[in-house]
Amino acid sequence: MQKINRNVVLALLSLTSLIFLLFQLCYYKFYLSQKNGATFSKVRGSQSGQDSIRWHVVRKFLGLISSHNIPVYLIDPLILGLVDKDIEQIRNSPGGPSPECKYFCAPRDFTTFALLDKTWKHEVGLFRTAEKMGFQWLKIINKDPRLDGMDDLSGMEIPLHYIFKLASHAIHLVVFYERSGNFLWHGPLRLKQHMDRKFVPFQKLHFGRYPGAYEKPELLLVSIDDLKVQIPKNPSSFLEEVSNSRFLECRYREARAFFQLYPDDASLDSVEFRKKAKSLLHLAALTLNNLGVKFWLSSGTCLGWYRQCNVIPHSKDVDLGIFIRDYKADIIPAFKNAGLPLKHKFGKVEDSLELSFQGEDDVKLDIFFFYEEDDHIWNGGTQAKSGKKFKYLFPKFTLCWTEFVELKVHVPCETLQYVEANYGPEWKVPVKVWDWKSSPFNVQDNGVWPIDEWDNVIQIY
Amino acid sequence: MDEWKPNPAVKPHKKRSWYLAWKYKLMNQRALRKLCQTGAVLFLLVTVIVNIKLILDTRRAAYEEEEESAQDYDDEMLNVEVPRHPVNNKKVLDVEVYSSRSKVYVAVDGTTVLEDEAREQGRGIHVIVLNQATGHVMAKRVFDTYSPHEDEAMVLFLNMVARGRILIFTIKDEGSFHLKETAKNVLKSLGSQVAPFLSWRDMWTFVGKKGGEVYGEKHAKSPALSTWGDPVLLKTEVHLTSVEDAECHWPDTELNRRRKRFCSKVEGYGSVCSCKDPTPIEFNPDPLRDNKVFDVPVAVIAGNRPNYLYRMLRSLLSAQGVNPQMITVFIDGYYEEPMDVVELFGLSGIQHTPISIKNARVSQHYKASLTATFNLFPDAKFAVVLEEDLDISVDFFSFLSQSIHLLEEDESLYCISAWNDQGYEHTAEDPSLLYRVETMPGLGWVLRKSLYKDELEPKWPTPEKLWDWDMWMRMPEQRKGRECIIPDISRSYHFGIVGLNMNGYFHEAYFKKHKFNTVPNVQLKNVESLRKDNYETEIHRLLGEAEVLDHSKNPCEDSFVPDTEGRVYVMFIRMEQEADFTTWTQLAKCLHIWDLDVRGNHKGLWRLFRKKNHFLVVGVPASPYSSKKPSSVTPIYMEPPAKEEGAVAVPAVAAAEQT
Repeated sequence: MQKINRNVVLALLSLTSLIFLLFQLCYYKFYLSQKNGATFSKVRGSQSGQDSIRWHVVRKFLGLISSHNIPVYLIDPLILGLVDKDIEQIRNSPGGPSPECKYFCAPRDFTTFALLDKTWKHEVGLFRTAEKMGFQWLKIINKDPRLDGMDDLSGMEIPLHYIFKLASHAIHLVVFYERSGNFLWHGPLRLKQHMDRKFVPFQKLHFGRYPGAYEKPELLLVSIDDLKVQIPKNPSSFLEEVSNSRFLECRYREARAFFQLYPDDASLDSVEFRKKAKSLLHLAALTLNNLGVKFWLSSGTCLGWYRQCNVIPHSKDVDLGIFIRDYKADIIPAFKNAGLPLKHKFGKVEDSLELSFQGEDDVKLDIFFFYEEDDHIWNGGTQAKSGKKFKYLFPKFTLCWTEFVELKVHVPCETLQYVEANYGPEWKVPVKVWDWKSSPFNVQDNGVWPIDEWDNVIQIY
Repeated sequence: MDEWKPNPAVKPHKKRSWYLAWKYKLMNQRALRKLCQTGAVLFLLVTVIVNIKLILDTRRAAYEEEEESAQDYDDEMLNVEVPRHPVNNKKVLDVEVYSSRSKVYVAVDGTTVLEDEAREQGRGIHVIVLNQATGHVMAKRVFDTYSPHEDEAMVLFLNMVARGRILIFTIKDEGSFHLKETAKNVLKSLGSQVAPFLSWRDMWTFVGKKGGEVYGEKHAKSPALSTWGDPVLLKTEVHLTSVEDAECHWPDTELNRRRKRFCSKVEGYGSVCSCKDPTPIEFNPDPLRDNKVFDVPVAVIAGNRPNYLYRMLRSLLSAQGVNPQMITVFIDGYYEEPMDVVELFGLSGIQHTPISIKNARVSQHYKASLTATFNLFPDAKFAVVLEEDLDISVDFFSFLSQSIHLLEEDESLYCISAWNDQGYEHTAEDPSLLYRVETMPGLGWVLRKSLYKDELEPKWPTPEKLWDWDMWMRMPEQRKGRECIIPDISRSYHFGIVGLNMNGYFHEAYFKKHKFNTVPNVQLKNVESLRKDNYETEIHRLLGEAEVLDHSKNPCEDSFVPDTEGRVYVMFIRMEQEADFTTWTQLAKCLHIWDLDVRGNHKGLWRLFRKKNHFLVVGVPASPYSSKKPSSVTPIYMEPPAKEEGAVAVPAVAAAEQT
C-alpha cells in the first residue's frame, strides 16, 4: 500500500511539474513577445496585425495634429531610409491609392516626427483630444538653452520632446527650436525623477540621446501609404545630417566662473577685436560652407569657446582646423574672392599644410590641416626663416556642432582632451605671451624642410 | 542501480515459486517506479533550469533597461520638485499681529509674513490678505493714512478683496490722521469695534474675515499728543475652510483654469476674480491687415509692480495686431506675483537675478532682457521694448507696421518710439503725423537688432557704472547723429507714479496731461517723407508755407498764436550754437511742456501744436533753417530766471525717469 502511495505521489509531482513547466514556457514566450513584438512579427514575416497597427497609429496621429493645424514633418530615419530608395517615384506619384503598406508598416517601435516650436501655440487642447483618441502622452521639458548663456536669467522650462503612445506603437515628436546662427536645435531627452521610465523603451529612440543641430529643412508634401505627410525634400542629405547632428552647448556656467576669476577685458580695443574676429569667422564659415569643406574651431579660438564662450580678446587671430582629406584647391581662390587674400602658405598637401589669410586690420585667419594616423591626429608648423618643421599631436576626436558668436560651427566633441593636448593642464589660466613654436603643450620638433623645397613649402605674400 | 541485488532483509525460507513470482512482480514494479522517479527528477531539474534562466533573463533585461536609461536619459540634477508653499493640512492657523510706533509684524503659524522695522518707512495701516482655505498670503499692502487720499486707496483695495478672505490689519507709527469717515465705516463693516474711534497715534491690530466673523482685535490708546500708544500684540486662531468654499465655480476651460490658479494666489485685481461676472483675460483684438510687425518680438521690462504689469498687459493684449506668442515679460528679481500675472495671461515670463543696484540694476536688467529677446527669436530683425508702467494704444502695432520699413531701410534712424516727449493735451493734435527727432524718447520703442548686437551690446555699461541705460543711449558716442521717428500723438501712456525716479508730484507735472491716441486704425500720413532727405524737403515746404508770428508779443501768452485752426505758424528764438537751449527751455517752461532737458528737436527746430495750429520753433542762428527767417524779424530771447531754489536738484532725477 505504501509503495502505491508513493507512486501516486510521484505521478502527481510529475504532473505538477509538467504543468508548471508549460506555464513557465508560456510565460517566457509571452514575455519575449511583449518585449520584442517587432522582432517576432518580423520573424513571422507577413503583414500581420502588428504592422497595420503602426500604420493606424500614424494615421490617427496625423489626424490629431492636422485637426489642430500643427505642421509636423517626418524625420524617422528608418522610414526616410525606405522612402529615399523610392524618392523619385514618390515625388512624381500623384498620391493615388498604394497597393501595399510599404513604409509605415515597417517593423519598428516608434515613428518620429519633428515640430518647429514657433509654428504652434502650445495649446492644451491638443492633449485633451489626444487623450480622447486613446493616446497616452508624455512631455519632456527642460531648461531653455537660449537663456543658458545669459547671466542669471531663469525662464520657464520649454517642451523638448513629446511621446504619444497608442497600443503597441508610439509617436516620438521632437520639438525643434531656432537658435542664433540660423539653425535648428533639439534638446536631449532626459527623464526626471518622477517620470515613468517604462513608458516606452527610451533607449531605442533615434533622437534624444544627445542634443542635435540641423539646418532648416526644405519640406515636401508627399503621399506615402495613403497618408499625406511632410518630409524633408532631400531625405538622404537629411539622414546624413542625423548621423552627424550631435550638438554641444557651450559651458556657460564654467565660463561665468572663469570671468569671476579673470574679469573680461572690456576695453575698446578688445570690443573692436571681438567684432572683427566675429565678422572674419562669419566670412570664413560662409566661404568654407559654400565649398562644402568641413572645418572646426581650433587652437585659440577653440580655447576661447571652451573656456569663456567668447573670442579671447588678446588672441589676435582666428584659428580653424580642416582634415587634409577635405582639402580642396579652390580654398585659396575662394577666400581671395571673399576679400581675404593669402598671407602665407607653409608645407604642402602631403605634409604640414597651413594657410594664413589676411583679414581686415591685421586680424589673421589661420587654417591648419590635420593629418590622421592610426592612434593620433597631428598638424604641422613651419618657421619661415629657418625652415624648421614642428608637429602638434592630438588624440583622435570626432566633430560636434556648437553655437559660437551667432554661428553654427564644429568643434571637437572631445574638447577637453583637445584643449588639454594643445594647452596642457593649465589651460584655464589665461596666458598673454604665447610662442607658437614653444608654448603649445603638444609641440614636437619635426626636422627641417630640405632647402630645395623651400620655394614651395614656404610662401609668404 | 539497474542491477537487482538480493535484499538481505527478505526471508529466504519462504516457498520458492511464490517468492520468485513475487520477486519478479516486485522487480517490474520497481523498474517502473524507478523510471517514474527518474522522469520526475528530470522534469523537476528542467523546470528549475528554465526557471532560473527566466529569472536571470528578466532581471538582466530589466537591469539593462534601467542601466541604459539611467546612463543616458536621466536628468543630471536631482529634480526634486519643491512645492512653492509647504503643504499644510491644518485646519487652524495661529496668527500673531504686532503694532507699535517703530515696528510691525505678522506671523502666521510661526512664519513671519510681514516685518517692518525700518525707520521713516512703512507708516500707516498695513493690510495682509490670507486665503481662507490655504492660509497663503495673497496680498500685502501698506496705506499711509497719515497722508491724504491714502484712505481712499485703502477703501478701493478692500472693496476689491473677495468675500471670505481673511484680512489682517496693523498700524505702524500713525494711521489715523487722514483716515476719513468712509474708510472708518468700511473697517467697521468688516467687524472692527475700534476703527470708528481710532485716533492720533493709537496702536491697533485686527484680524477678521471679509463678510464674516472677527477673529480678534486689540487697541492701545495714545495717552497724549506727543506720545504713542503702547505696543499691542494680538494672538488669535483662524479656522480654515475647505478649498471648494474658497473658490469660484467658473466653467472648466483652459482660460478659467489659469484664472483659478491666479485667483487662489493673489488678491487686489478686482473683477478678474469675480465669481459671477469675471472680466475676460483673453481679448482677441482685430488682426491687422498686412501686419509687418506680427513677427517682431516684444520685450516687456518689469520689476515688482504686479498691478502695473496687469494693467499694462491688458492694454497690450487689447491692441490690434498683437501677437501674444512674441511677447516675453522680463521680471527683474524672483518675484512671484508679477509671474502670476504673466501666467494669468498665458504669456511667457523670465526672471532675472538682480545685478548691481539702482540705475545700474535697471540697466543690467535691460541688457539681459534685450540679449535674451534676440536669443529667443534669432530670426528677428527688430524688438519692441515696453515697460510695465505703460498703457499701449489700440493702434500701437498699426503705427509700427506702417513705419517699421523706415527703420530697416534708413541708416540714419536710431529708433522708432511711440512716445512724443512734447505731446501734451494742448500741444499734440494729429494722430497721423510723424516727426524725426534727435532725442531718444524710449517709453515704447523699436530697436534694430544690428544696432544692438554690433554697437550697443558689446559696449553696454558694466554693472559698476551707475548709469541710466537710456541716458547712455542718448550720448553722442552711441547715437552718432542718428534720429528717432515719433508720432505727434503718443501711442503709449506713462501711468506709473511709483518708481525708481518717480513720485506723484512729478507724474502730475510731466506725465498726467500727456496725450494718448485712442483712435483705432489711424492711417499714417506721408510716411515716406520721414526718410532722411525727404524730411528736409518736407520741412522746407512747411517753413515756406508757414506764417511768421508777431515777434513783438510775449510767446508765453495765449494770444501769441491767433485764434485759428489748421494753420502753420513759425517763430524764431535765439540759439547761439547747437547746444544753446536757454531760450527754448524758458519757452518750454511757460508752455508747460517737457523742460527738464531738451527733447524733440530736429536741427534746431521744434514742431508742436498750439490751438490746433501747427507751431514751429526755429533756433537762430544755429539751425540750418535760420535762412527762412525774414530779415525784419528779431529772434526772441528769454532770460532764465535767477537761480530758483530747489529747481536744480529736480531735473537730474526727473530726466532719468523720462525713459
